[in-house]
Amino acid sequence: MLGVALLMSAAVAHAHNAICSCFDNGDDTITCEGGFSDGATAAGVPLRVFDPSGKVLVEGAIGKDGTFKFARPKGPFRVEMNAGEGHVVKIDGRDIEK
Amino acid sequence: MLPLLLGIVLCSTAQAHFQLLYTPQAALGESAALPLALVFSHPFDNGFTMDMGRPEAFYVVHQRGEGEPKTTDLMEYLQPIEWKGVDSKAAAWLANPPRSVTRSLGDYTFVLKPAPYYEAQEDKYIQQITRTMVNIGGIPGGWDQPMGLPVEIVPLDKPYANWVGGVFRAVVMANGKPVPHAEVEVEYLNHEPQIDVRRFDPQGKVTAPQGSFVTLSIRADAQGQVMIGLPRAGWWGLCALDLDDGLKHQGKELSLDAVLWVQATDMVK
Repeated sequence: MLGVALLMSAAVAHAHNAICSCFDNGDDTITCEGGFSDGATAAGVPLRVFDPSGKVLVEGAIGKDGTFKFARPKGPFRVEMNAGEGHVVKIDGRDIEK
Repeated sequence: MLPLLLGIVLCSTAQAHFQLLYTPQAALGESAALPLALVFSHPFDNGFTMDMGRPEAFYVVHQRGEGEPKTTDLMEYLQPIEWKGVDSKAAAWLANPPRSVTRSLGDYTFVLKPAPYYEAQEDKYIQQITRTMVNIGGIPGGWDQPMGLPVEIVPLDKPYANWVGGVFRAVVMANGKPVPHAEVEVEYLNHEPQIDVRRFDPQGKVTAPQGSFVTLSIRADAQGQVMIGLPRAGWWGLCALDLDDGLKHQGKELSLDAVLWVQATDMVK
């Protein structure tokens, strides 16, 4: 999936998907963008970065501009944007490109 | 004699000029560097490709969801090339902006204002302000908003998300207002552009049974709205003609047209 993930939120009442995409800024930081397929803002949607053991490395939320930026962890990691109702968009750190 | 005669008739009357602003795919799952080909041609049969001057403007406007639109100028990426039509070649342009230009999710509206083209047969200039919309990742943004261009075709359906067999609707606008009964031409991009070899595929996908099918001429309704069917996968061009009366360029009449490209996609598993 190369750093983009979408989630069919069939169980959610709204006919839209949660979408998250991350890219490497080239300065040891990563920016993740979040949103919904109807164009609605994902501001405030929680976003967490985990190591392979499940330890939370970074905890934050999508900002008003639709993005969240964090320092690239030293080791392997994954990003999870939790769009609610148990629907979580997951991105493997290895798939995040410049 | 008959085939020759027919050919002459088709070349002089039945084809429409269309500014191409081509990229292979309108809806991408993930961000990628997008190759763009700027060619002035007749998309259905490509009998004659016309020389383009250096564009007056070429840029892309990105918007993700309700975020602020961001404009990136693309003039620095223009490379002059020679493009081969089926039986002619002409000056055209390629652009290969890096992935960073289209790295975010959302709508990307590419806008091209080419240099006016002198059409000797009609002793006038033609300038087609052309828009092609690309979406990355499925988050929309701004596709349905007028951009404030002097002339534009404003979509009522996403130009990048259309099933074959569906319809596409849009409003023809000039100076911010709908144009009642606007004259609109519609053509199918029948010869696929092959950017790597800088030509159109010599093999067309379909054959027109008669000249009227090469360029479909339609009229907008009283509200300036047009609706077209999309019977086949690929790019469809809409061109609203001569939307601003009385314009001149170098002492001659200037037809200021608005072009919008729409991509239809097959329903497959």
